[in-house]
Amino acid sequence: MPLDNAPEGKRKFNVVGTRPLRPDGIDKVTGRAKFGADASAPGQLVGRILRSPHAHAIIRKIDTSKAEKLPGVKAVITRDDFPDHTGGSGGLYDTLCNVMAREKAFYEGHAVAAVAATSASIARQALKLIKVDYEVLPHVTDVDEAMKPGAPLLHKDMFTDGVDPKPKKPSNIARRFEFGHGDVEAGFKKADIIVERSFKTEAAHQGYIEPHAALASMGPDGSAELWCCTQGHYMVRDVCSQLLGIDIARLRVTQSEIGGGFGGKTTVFIEPVALALARKANRPVKVVMTREEVFKASGPTASTSIDIKIGVTKDGLITAADGVFRYQGGPFQGCSPAEFGAMSAFAQFHLDNVRAVAYDVVCNRPKTISYRAPGAPMANFAVESVIEELAHKLGMEPIDFRIKNAAREGTKSSYGPVYGPIGLGATLEAAKNHPHFKAPLGPNQGRGMAAGFWFNFGGQSCVTLNIPVDGSITVSVGSPDIGGSRAAMCMMVAEEMGIPYDHVRAIIADTSALGYNDVTDGSRTTFATGMACILAARDAIKKLCARAAATWGIPEDAVKWENGYAKPAGPNAGDFAPLSLKEIAEASPGTGGPIAGHHEFSADGAGVSFATHICDVEVDPETGRSSIVRYTVIQDAGKAVHPSYVEGQFQGGAVQGIGWALNEEYIYGKDGRLQNAGFLDYRIPVCSDLPMIDTQILEIPNPGHPYGVRGVGETSIVPPLAAIANAVANATGVRFTQIPLSPPRVLKGIEEAKKAGGRKAA
Amino acid sequence: MIPGAFDYHRPKSVAEAIALLNDLGDDARPIAGGHSLIPMMKMRLASPSHLVDLRGLADLAFIRAEGGEVVIGAMTTQHQVIASADLAARLPLLRETALQIADPQIRYLGTIGGNVANGDPGNDMPAVMMCLDAQYEVQGQGGSRRVAAREFYQGAYFTALEPGELVTAIRIPVPPAGHKAAYEKLKRKIGDYAIAAAAVLLEVSGGKITRASIALTNVGETPLLADAASDLLVGQAPDKALCKKAGQAAAAIAAPASDARGPVAYRRQMAGIMTERALIRALGL
Repeated sequence: MPLDNAPEGKRKFNVVGTRPLRPDGIDKVTGRAKFGADASAPGQLVGRILRSPHAHAIIRKIDTSKAEKLPGVKAVITRDDFPDHTGGSGGLYDTLCNVMAREKAFYEGHAVAAVAATSASIARQALKLIKVDYEVLPHVTDVDEAMKPGAPLLHKDMFTDGVDPKPKKPSNIARRFEFGHGDVEAGFKKADIIVERSFKTEAAHQGYIEPHAALASMGPDGSAELWCCTQGHYMVRDVCSQLLGIDIARLRVTQSEIGGGFGGKTTVFIEPVALALARKANRPVKVVMTREEVFKASGPTASTSIDIKIGVTKDGLITAADGVFRYQGGPFQGCSPAEFGAMSAFAQFHLDNVRAVAYDVVCNRPKTISYRAPGAPMANFAVESVIEELAHKLGMEPIDFRIKNAAREGTKSSYGPVYGPIGLGATLEAAKNHPHFKAPLGPNQGRGMAAGFWFNFGGQSCVTLNIPVDGSITVSVGSPDIGGSRAAMCMMVAEEMGIPYDHVRAIIADTSALGYNDVTDGSRTTFATGMACILAARDAIKKLCARAAATWGIPEDAVKWENGYAKPAGPNAGDFAPLSLKEIAEASPGTGGPIAGHHEFSADGAGVSFATHICDVEVDPETGRSSIVRYTVIQDAGKAVHPSYVEGQFQGGAVQGIGWALNEEYIYGKDGRLQNAGFLDYRIPVCSDLPMIDTQILEIPNPGHPYGVRGVGETSIVPPLAAIANAVANATGVRFTQIPLSPPRVLKGIEEAKKAGGRKAA
Repeated sequence: MIPGAFDYHRPKSVAEAIALLNDLGDDARPIAGGHSLIPMMKMRLASPSHLVDLRGLADLAFIRAEGGEVVIGAMTTQHQVIASADLAARLPLLRETALQIADPQIRYLGTIGGNVANGDPGNDMPAVMMCLDAQYEVQGQGGSRRVAAREFYQGAYFTALEPGELVTAIRIPVPPAGHKAAYEKLKRKIGDYAIAAAAVLLEVSGGKITRASIALTNVGETPLLADAASDLLVGQAPDKALCKKAGQAAAAIAAPASDARGPVAYRRQMAGIMTERALIRALGL
């Protein structure tokens, strides 16, 4: 759908661009909002899951007989209660294997059995009575180790895809991808300076406050209901019904308020288990994860190992860029975001010769799932670190080096498509002109920057808009609101209808009330579901005009809609007093019944998004501790529907990136068990660890949306790792190639550099 | 992350609490703010059958002056320590330390008595109390006694408390006006336990250090009194080189564990740096 008033894109807005309060705000701050664990049902049982203590083991036998006999236990389930309805391969089969282990437990925390009982303590006792006979196997948790010949094999039938000829020996490499264009070897021959480095990043968790929770009930006729916290209840419905072998239409899923998702709630973990327990017990069952389960058995992001090689001419033009991206995604193929990492790695540059090779690797770790711009932050860390180093070698200001090589409209991107209008250059120029960029630095401080990219996504949305007799409006959407999207939906509807924002209320409808809606991911909701809201409003306006036309006895196309009123389209249409939305709604019972608008589609044209971050870090030279002293995010939003919530997305992504860069990591012991499965030792930053994150919204309209909107939720986590690493490098003179930049690691780097007499890499 | 089953008791007086602890025996644990014990119970590192909640003992929440001492009731919260103008004036080291403990939510509930009595090497107040040469008032069935903080800590979670005894108050000799003190704590982020921390107390007269006391947090099974480090300060004119030397002497006694906060050598080195920095700041160098 084209931009309104294109090409200038200078539409005047009344509601869009203002900052009203979100409709869900009061319920959230007063405790009235109902989250995943807040629902209850009559006769409800407590469901709990038994998890593997081993990182890799064959499950020879599971004896549940003692648990079943314990008074108060109403159901015990294992793999035997999940007959395979998936066809035995592919992503859905892997999901089945992940929600309940089959032949093997693939990671510490992998579900192997579950019970439903009348109390939590009986359920816990019952878990202890389940005897699992394991044959413990050697395990591997490091991506480089997993790729070595002779590494413990997770799947005997995994032969790397994407390699010609297909290997004859199985390995832990599920697939090889390659992206790029030109001839990198020829490009490197033209280079005067080449920098080549290897990087490693550890897995991070999305760290949402709310643990996964689900309340399931299933009747003897196979009709089922599920209440859960998720980023996509239609996805939950479709996946669960397929895993359980029931008709999709029999399962009705209602999404609770969500206490954070960040990509981590775009799949199922406990939901099919709760349903299977409810089916077997014939009672409602509630399953709530503990924080330890969230860390061990939900889906963190990938750990990676990355090699980057970039060549430049003396005058700072990149001649070739080459990268190898190894991502482990847990035990199943296609789960690591290696492909997105490789696709996004060089996307911010205009390159004649570029190649990005990715390996999707399996390991004995939890099955990874999306984390905000999945795969991009790690790749960006590696690439933008090398870019900064090249700029220093060239004696060029890093920002000028980036501007010189920046992708622009018409650039063939490193992953294939040719860019339309993009905001990268504008964010770089804005960074260069930002007061932050010129502010003086204190002792032991360094400034770093990085530019990042994310694709953004459109996808399927279905929206219904109802107009009751008082002329207020209910918008039913099927996209869970994880970042203020209900406010944005109301604003766009109010904008179209020409009425005040607070006359519109948006709700998240259950799966039986609307057609399919894709998961809230890919920064798609304000863009795609928002566009569906605009089009549903336009559909309703058409009907409102038709009612007015009938009232006046003139043709429908002789009526126009303006600022909340139906008016005769011109002097020839007749002389009638305008009818307000409220007047038409009031009369609707007698003019044809209820008035509703509707739109369903699959949205194309999600505009790509770029951001530039500037960061000042102070590194304590005696302790190695880094503190963020100033941070600025500059990002293209296309059109900021609600600027405060756009700024919130910018800040939130930056903060999660700061945590990942400085503190957060999955720490595994030699036994393959996670050492820090709690917030005591998995440290996410809090407000007092941080300066105010400054933001600057740029608006380079996306031609694929009537208002120019681009998704904004993900790009903001892409540049922080590199921006911080570059700042630390500039503060210490040491290039760090591994995150997190923990104090011992940084101090070691500083001391080794001192011994070696200057700048080096650590 | 779910504790085992336990019974809950809420006595209204110290005598009742002590009687309960004695009746219930080894399986009972007193609980004050609960910020060490409850996480340990959730991780199943502790599984008491009975919890004796001391929050009903309102008469143990006080801060008062007695002669040359400040006496702080064991149920005084860290927040109350921070908010006390009297403490801020006479013993600013306490306020400074309390402000570095966890975060405000925890400080509203966490008590100074629980902090010193639990024997958790990660707690901040024990080293500060050793540095200040505080005495703990300990009450049991047989009556009350006083134990010096410097004699109190025997191992991780092992203290001089006998079963059934409670720390009811802390007596701190107030250092003379003009004394110098500081607490330097290195942590990964807000709310964390120390990678290493050091408390220092100094008196300076006629350009020479006349009294010095240094204690270290979370670099051993117990808080550590760095005698050798403080001895080499006394009688000397303060300067940065001296502080560095004292820091090195403090690091020499540190025996930290290798954990997520860093390897042994790093944490030992940090004990020295924290000591040096505390001295430099206290002395205004």
